[in-house]
Amino acid sequence: MIKRLWKVAFAEWKLIYTDPAAVLLLVVAGLIYAFYYPVPYVYQTVSKVPVAVVDLDNTSMSRDLIRMASAAQQIEVKSIYPEMRLAEEAMARDEIYGFMVIPENMEKDIRGKHQVTVNIFTHGAYAMFHGAIGTAFSTCALTVGATNKVKQIALSKKVPSTKAIAMRDPFPISIQTLFNSTGGYANYVVPSVLVVILQQSLIIGICVLGGSRAHRRFRKKFRDSPVENESVPYRYFGRSIAYFVHYCSFILFYHCIVYNLFDFPRRGELLPMVVFSIVFLASVINFGMVVSQIFVRRESSMQLFLYLSIPILFLANFSWPSYLMPQWMVSISYILPSTFAIPAWLSIEQMGADIYDVAPKLYQLAIQAVVYMVIGLLLTRIRDKVKIDVGDM
Amino acid sequence: MILNGLLNTIRKIYFSHNIVLWMTLVVLPIGVSLFTIGMFSSQIVQHVPIGIVKQDDSQLADKLEMKLRSSPVLDIKMICTDMGECEHAVVRGDLQGFLVFPNDLERRALRLEAPVIPVYSSGQNYLTNMFATKEIRSVLASAGSELFTAQMEDPVKVQIHSVGNLKSNYQGFLAFGLVTAIFHLAAMIVGVYVTSFPLRDHRVTEMIRYAGGSRLTLWVASVFPMNIVLWLETVGCYAYCHRLLAPLTFDEFVMSAAAQLFMIFACSGAGIVFVGVFGIMRMATGAAGIIGSPAFAFAGQTFPVMAMPFAVRCFAFILPLTHVLMIQSTMLLGDVDMAPAWESMKILIGMAVFWNVLGALLMSMRWKQHLRREAKMKEVKNAEAQA
Repeated sequence: MIKRLWKVAFAEWKLIYTDPAAVLLLVVAGLIYAFYYPVPYVYQTVSKVPVAVVDLDNTSMSRDLIRMASAAQQIEVKSIYPEMRLAEEAMARDEIYGFMVIPENMEKDIRGKHQVTVNIFTHGAYAMFHGAIGTAFSTCALTVGATNKVKQIALSKKVPSTKAIAMRDPFPISIQTLFNSTGGYANYVVPSVLVVILQQSLIIGICVLGGSRAHRRFRKKFRDSPVENESVPYRYFGRSIAYFVHYCSFILFYHCIVYNLFDFPRRGELLPMVVFSIVFLASVINFGMVVSQIFVRRESSMQLFLYLSIPILFLANFSWPSYLMPQWMVSISYILPSTFAIPAWLSIEQMGADIYDVAPKLYQLAIQAVVYMVIGLLLTRIRDKVKIDVGDM
Repeated sequence: MILNGLLNTIRKIYFSHNIVLWMTLVVLPIGVSLFTIGMFSSQIVQHVPIGIVKQDDSQLADKLEMKLRSSPVLDIKMICTDMGECEHAVVRGDLQGFLVFPNDLERRALRLEAPVIPVYSSGQNYLTNMFATKEIRSVLASAGSELFTAQMEDPVKVQIHSVGNLKSNYQGFLAFGLVTAIFHLAAMIVGVYVTSFPLRDHRVTEMIRYAGGSRLTLWVASVFPMNIVLWLETVGCYAYCHRLLAPLTFDEFVMSAAAQLFMIFACSGAGIVFVGVFGIMRMATGAAGIIGSPAFAFAGQTFPVMAMPFAVRCFAFILPLTHVLMIQSTMLLGDVDMAPAWESMKILIGMAVFWNVLGALLMSMRWKQHLRREAKMKEVKNAEAQA
C-alpha cells in the first residue's frame, strides 16, 4: 500500500519539477517572493522624513522648538518658511511630507499663561509619514509646553522643580514592546505575507496540475499510465504527500534561511512548528484539491487567485482587525486556511507561543483539513465519472 | 470595410467567448475592489482589546480603569491577576497589549514619587498597537493632569491634521491605493488573457480573417475595448472610495482619471509583452502575477519609497502604480499647483507607449508564427482526411 502511495507521490513530484507552469508556481514563486517581499522593508523603519517648519512667531522659544525638531530621529527639517503657502507648495512637489506651524505670538501667549495651539500637517496619502511626523513634532511641541508648565507650577505652588514635574505628570507611563521591539515594518508585515505566499502558490499550483484528477489531458504521454490513474484514495493521498513534502521544505527554508537573512524574530519551538506545518499544509492541500475540481483550464485558477490575494491578506486579521469588518466578511474568511494560519504562525514564530497557546487555531485548521478532505475525495470521485470535453485538465 | 472588420473582430473577441473573459474583465476587479473597500467600512480603529494587571486596589486605580473603559478606542477585555496571564493572552492574540497599575500606585502618586505605569504592547500589529498606546498615553496624561493641576491648562496644545484625509479615515486612505493596485493587476491579467486566448485555442487565423486580414485591426480590436472598460471601472471604483476623502475639483478628477487611463494602457501593454515573450497564457499569467501582485508593497503608499533600498526604488520607479499613486496623492492636497503631477504623468504616458509598441511588435511576430503553425495543422488534418 505504502509503495503504491509513494509511486504516485514520486510521479507527482517529478511533474512539479518538469512542468514549466508548475515550476514557476511551486518552485520559483516561493523562492522569489521570499526575497522579493522583504527587500523593500529591509531598513525596517522610516527615519529622517523631510519636513518643514512654518515659523510665524520668530522668537527664541520658536527657535528652540525648531532646534528640538531638527534633533528628532524620525524627521529632518529641510526648510523653515515664513508662511504656510510655501510649505503647502513644497508638500505638493513632494519635497516635504509634513510641516509644523508655530503660531504667531507663541512665546508671548505662553508667558502670559494663555494656551497656544501648534498645528501639524501631514500628507494624507501616507500613513507611515503621518505617524512618524505627528509623533516627532508633537513630542517636541509638548516638551516645550511641559517645560513651561513645570515652571508655572513651581512658581505658583512654590515647590521645587522635581515636585513640580511630579505634579504635572503624577504617574508617567513607560511603553515597552513585547515582540517587535524595534518597531520594524518588515517584522510586522513580512511573516504574514509569507504564509499567504505559501497558501496561494500551493493552491494555484495544485489547480494548475489538476489536483487529484485521473486522465489529465495535459499529461499527453502519460495520460493512460497506471500511476496517473490509480484508484481515488491512492491518487488523492499520493499526490497530497508530494505537495506536503515539497512545502515542508519551503517552511524549513523560510524558517532557517529567510528569517535569518532578514533578521526576523525566530522564537518558534519545535513542537508547535511541526504541528502547525502538518495542519496548515493539510488544510491548504485539501482546499486546493477541492478548488482544483472546479476549473476546466489550467490557468483559470491563476486568474482567480491572483485577484483574491489582496482581500485574503487583509481578511487574516493581521493588519486590519477582523472585529471591525462586517460579519458576513468574517464568515467568508473562515473558508480560508490563512485566516487561522497567519495568527497561529505569528504567535508561534514571532511570539514564541507554546502548543497550548495556539491550540484553538490549530484545531480550526485541522477541522478545515478534514472537511476539505472529505469534499475533495467526493468531488474527485464525481469528476472521474463525468466526461468533460472542453479544457486541458 | 475597416470599421466592419474592427466591429466584427470586437464582437468575436468580446461577445462570443467564454465566461472567463468577463469574469476577469468585469466581475472580479469590481467585486474584489468593492469587497476590499467594504472591509474597512468601520473607517477608524476602535475597541482595541487590552488587559490590565491591577496590583494596586485603590480608588485612583479604579478611576484610571473607568477612564480607560470609557475610551472608544480601547476595550478592556481582561483584568489579569498577574503579568503572565496577560502576556499569554497577547501571545494567543486575544489582547494587543496590557498595562500594569503597580503596587502603591495611589499612595506613591499622592506623595509625588511619580510611580511609573508600564504599558506592554504586543508590537506585532502596527496599526492597532499604535492606536492603543497613543490612546492609553492620552487617557492617563489627562487623568494625571486632573490630580494636582486641574485648574491649570497645558500651555501648548497640539493638533495633527492629515491633509486630504481630515478624519484619518482608513477606508479612504487604504482603499484608494488598494483599488488602484487591484486594477493595476487586472489590466495585466486581462491584457494577457485577451491576446493569448487566440494562441491557446489556435484561432489566430480565424481572428485575422474577421479583422479583414489586418493585424493592426486585430490589435486595435483586442486592446482598446478592454482598456476602455477597465478604465471606466477604475474611475468608478476610485470615485466611490474617494467620496470618503477630501472632494476633488473637476481638474483634479480629470488628472487622476487620465493617470489611471495611462496606467491601464501601460499594464495591459506589459501583459501583452509577457504573452509575446512566453507565447503561453499560463506562463504569461504567472509572470504578470509575480510582477503585479506585490506592486502595492513597492508603490510607496504603505511604506515610503524613500525608505527602501536603491535597487527597490528603481523597481518601484518602473511600476506604473507608483506614479499613479503619486498623482492621486498630489490631488489630495487640494488647491496647490498641479505642475508636480505632470512629471509623473509624462512617465506614465511614456510607459504606456513603450509597452504597447513593444507588445504590438512581439504579438505581430507571434501571430505570424501561429498563422504558419495553424496552416500546417490544417494541412496535416486535410492530408489525414484524404488518407
